[in-house]
Order: sequence, then structure tokens, then C-alpha cells
Amino acid sequence: MSNSHPDMLALITTLKMAGLTTVILMLIGTPLAWYLAKMQSRAKVFIEALVALPLVLPPTVLGFYLLLLFSPQYLPGQIWQQATGQQLAFSFSAIVIGSVLYSLPFVVQPLQKAFEQLGDDLLEAAAMLGASAIDRFFTIVLPITKASFITAASLGFAHTVGEFGVVLMIGGNIPGETRVLSIALFDHVEAFDYAQAHIISISLVICSLILLSLIYLLNRPKKSQPVLSKRFS
Amino acid sequence: MADLRIKINVDYDDFSLSIDQQISLTGITGIFGHSGSGKSTLLKVIAGLDKDAQGQLLINDTILFDSQAKTFLAPQQRNIGLVFQNSRLFPHLTVEENLRYGQKRKKNNVTNKPLDFSEIVALTQLESLLVKSVAQLSGGEQQRVALARALLAEPRLLLLDEPLSALDDQNKILMLTLLEKVQKQLNLPMLYVSHSLAEIQQLANSLLVLSSGKVSHYGDIHQVIHQLTTDNEILHQTSLSLTVKEHLPAYGLTSLVLAEQQILMALNDHLEIAKQARCIIAASDISVTLHEPRESSIVNHLQGIITGFNRCNAQILLTVNCSGQDFFVTITAWSANRLSLVLEQSIYIQFKANAVRILR
Repeated sequence: MSNSHPDMLALITTLKMAGLTTVILMLIGTPLAWYLAKMQSRAKVFIEALVALPLVLPPTVLGFYLLLLFSPQYLPGQIWQQATGQQLAFSFSAIVIGSVLYSLPFVVQPLQKAFEQLGDDLLEAAAMLGASAIDRFFTIVLPITKASFITAASLGFAHTVGEFGVVLMIGGNIPGETRVLSIALFDHVEAFDYAQAHIISISLVICSLILLSLIYLLNRPKKSQPVLSKRFS
Repeated sequence: MADLRIKINVDYDDFSLSIDQQISLTGITGIFGHSGSGKSTLLKVIAGLDKDAQGQLLINDTILFDSQAKTFLAPQQRNIGLVFQNSRLFPHLTVEENLRYGQKRKKNNVTNKPLDFSEIVALTQLESLLVKSVAQLSGGEQQRVALARALLAEPRLLLLDEPLSALDDQNKILMLTLLEKVQKQLNLPMLYVSHSLAEIQQLANSLLVLSSGKVSHYGDIHQVIHQLTTDNEILHQTSLSLTVKEHLPAYGLTSLVLAEQQILMALNDHLEIAKQARCIIAASDISVTLHEPRESSIVNHLQGIITGFNRCNAQILLTVNCSGQDFFVTITAWSANRLSLVLEQSIYIQFKANAVRILR
């Protein structure tokens, strides 16, 4: 495939979209997961359900509502257009925002579980030794839950690469802007170009398999590594 | 001398804590109470880990929190150390890294010279463990690391929340000796929470007793234990700190000083001459005579005055003051009648050398 090949361009768009989405997801997902892990009010289940919604909803449903919101007829779309001078629907920004919402549970859930498991004991101990909240996050939380952070980022990335419905609804099929691999694949199948479809498909299967294997390898319990022992409590 | 002023209210659905008490921060203050008495909650409030308390908390003039003025000093700003029941060592760090964690974050302490890392490590006997991962440590070792880690942060007050409860007897003794040494060497005030009075008796010089969320007693340890004894809250006993005078190996005895009188106990040559020894004498091990028993095999007889006379069932609990020290004596009502004992009467108490039990 040459550089100018449309599928190559789709690959670059896909990686750009998934990369940016993952960065945003980690920035939003970490505090959200922390908040949910520490939250005790009854609203917690509702927020958890809201975050988990993309797991069960057809992506096209999410895409449909986002399409409406992003269009200039609605307030979010209007604000965006006034601020940037460009229409939000059918843009690269639109598919990134859509991906963030769509992949949110894949980042929030492993992090929330890790934070819940970590508990308050070590954080209280660190505070009593003079560590501030930010200090505690970087010296206690991050090193101990490192594997969960890598899992969350990898799942968020992989799931974004694999998305189709949302992008189709709100991105359309603009080369270099919103035409990602899953859309390109769909085009090839529509055009009966099975050879190209195979190349994309098998590459996605192999890459996803490698990525998931790495995640499972990382999360395999190691005997030598000290686990959070609760031997006294 | 530092003071801790506590004026707090904590209200939960099933539990409330209401304390208005000034505590003098010298030596080790024991905080005793049964489970549910609120002692751990009190410690959490002082540490800043419980944010729901109402009221005021001050160390000298420093406000730790004041709910009316809406000031709340975060735990990391209070410069108070806490050794938990479960050591709470950081599993991703080695022993040395755990120790350095607090040291790196210590508040600038102008008045004291900084603690030497290797000095604390030597004091807590951790030299050989520094490179180990915390998962490799035994329970006793973990608690020693937790103590050293707290000390190296150079707190102005150290809180200990049932620090021995997870340890076996041998490690308990080791840790108690260590705590006493640390307290003396660093002159660091400590609040020691425990549900075991025996543990506190070995260590503390003052005692605060909590009962259903309120302070029931506070003061010098021996006095409070005497009050608890009179109130029938604990087994009747006399609690004493006496100076060791000399060892008499030929007789198998050690001599202790009580004002101008002497008390003999079974030889214990581990005790250092001229140092204080903590001991208890069970009230049932002491008997009373009207005249000095010169021809008795019982080695200890002290003159005293009856200052308390309490009847419980068929038993009489006497308080006898000998040279300024109160002794508790239980005798049968029958004996009390036969000797016609009354308040303010001058009598002799006697007990065997073996009745004097050294706490540590």
C-alpha cells in the first residue's frame, strides 16, 4: 500500500482518532472513576448505569442522538460553531467526542474497580506521613494500580479502533477526516472488493488479538509481586 | 508543656461521642475503653481522618479544626503521626523506601534537631531488613517498620491505635519495650489506644477512660486505676510505681522503696537499681491485722489508715493509705466484723513477696 492509498489514510485517521480519544478518556475517566469509587450516595448507581449505557445500547442509538446534538439546530452544535467557526457534525472532532462517550465504560470500569480495591488504608497512612492528595495519587495510587491504568487505556484504544456505528452516524465518510478503517472495510464489502476487505479485517483481528493478549498478560496474578495483603484486618 | 484541648461531638446513627477534655501531652497517655466506647473515633478525629466531628480541637494555640469557624487542617498538615493496628506499609516500596516516605515529607521542625535515619533504624532494629520487600516481613517486623516510618516524619504527637493487637506475646513485649525506649529517647508525646488495660498499665503515665462516647476518668494512671477499682469496673488491685532499691539474691528477694517503708518482692534481677518498676498487687492477696505482725513469715507489712470502706456482697473492699499510697484490700464481711474495722482506724496490711507482680 502506498502512502496515498485511501486505506492508508483511513488507518492514519483511525490511529489519530483512537489516540486522541484515549488521552481524553484517561483525563476524564480517572477522576470520574475515583469519584465513583469513593461515592456513597444513592446517585452512584444511576451514574454507574449512565456510564455503562454504551455497553448495551446499539451504537447507532448513541450516534443518532449525538447527530442531533451536534447539528447547528441544537444548542451544543450552535455553541461549537460559534466558537470554532466550523460545523461539529461530520467532523473529526465529532467522531472523537462520540468515541469518548462510547468507550467511557471501558476506561472507567477497570479504574473504578482498582480504586475500590485499593481502599483508604494506604492513603490514610500516606496522609499521616505528610503526603498531599496529588502526592498520594502519584506515589501511592498510580504505582499500585498501574496495571489497571494500562488495561483501561488499552481497552479504550482498542474499542475505539473497533467502533463503527457511532462514527457512521455522526462522521459520515470523509477521507482524511472521518473515514476510519471500519468504515473503509464496509465500503469495500459494499463494492464486493473482498481482497481489500480481507487485508483490513485480518490486520484488525491480529492487532486486536496482540493487544488483548498483552492486557491479559499484564493482569495475570504474579506470585512474586506483593499483593495488597489485609492480613491484619 | 503541650496541651491537647478536645471539645468535640460526633453523631452517627448508632453511636455518639461527646468529649470536653484537656489532655496534657507528656509521656504516654493511655486511652482505654471497651469496643464501641469511641476510642478509635477519637483518635481519627485527632488525626483528621474523621471529618464529621463538630467542635474544636487545638494543640496549644494551633487550631486543628474548629467547625464553627469552618477551619479544618488536613491530616497531612497536622504533623501528627499515627501507627495503625494493621501496619499499612506501602506494598510497592521496600522497607527503606517506606521509611524514607515520611522522612521526605516531614514538616520543618525548627525547635528540634532532625532525626538521624540510621539512629531510628538502629533503635527499631531494622538494619537487616532495609532492602526487603514488605511482603517478606513478619507481623512484628511490619509493626516496627510502621513505627519507625511514623517517627521519621518527626510528628509533634504520635497516635497509636491498638498497635499490638495483631502481634503474638513475644512481639508484644518487644514492641512495648521499644515504645518506652522511643518515648524516653525522643521525648515524643504519645496517645496510646487500647482495649487492654494490662497493656496500657505497662506503658502509660496517664490514663483517659472512655465509656459510651464520654470521658469517665482522666488523670495519673495509678489514680485512675484506683478509681476504676473502687467503681468496681476492673478487678480489684493496687497499681504502683516503686523505686528499685537493691537485689538480695541470698534471700531470693528484691527490695523496693515506698516512702520510708520497704516492700519485698520475689527476686527479679532484670530490674535496674534506682529505676521505677511498675507492679500490681491483687486486693485479695492482701490481709489486715490490728497489730504489727512481728512474728510472721509474711515479709511485707505496712502501717496504714483505713480511708475507704465499701461493701460488695459478702466482701468488703478496704482502701488503706500507707505512706501516701492507697492500697486496695478485700476481706470477708466476717473478718471486718471480728476486727471491728472502722474508717480512719490505724491498722497493718500484710502480703507475701509473691503477691507483688511486676508488669514488665
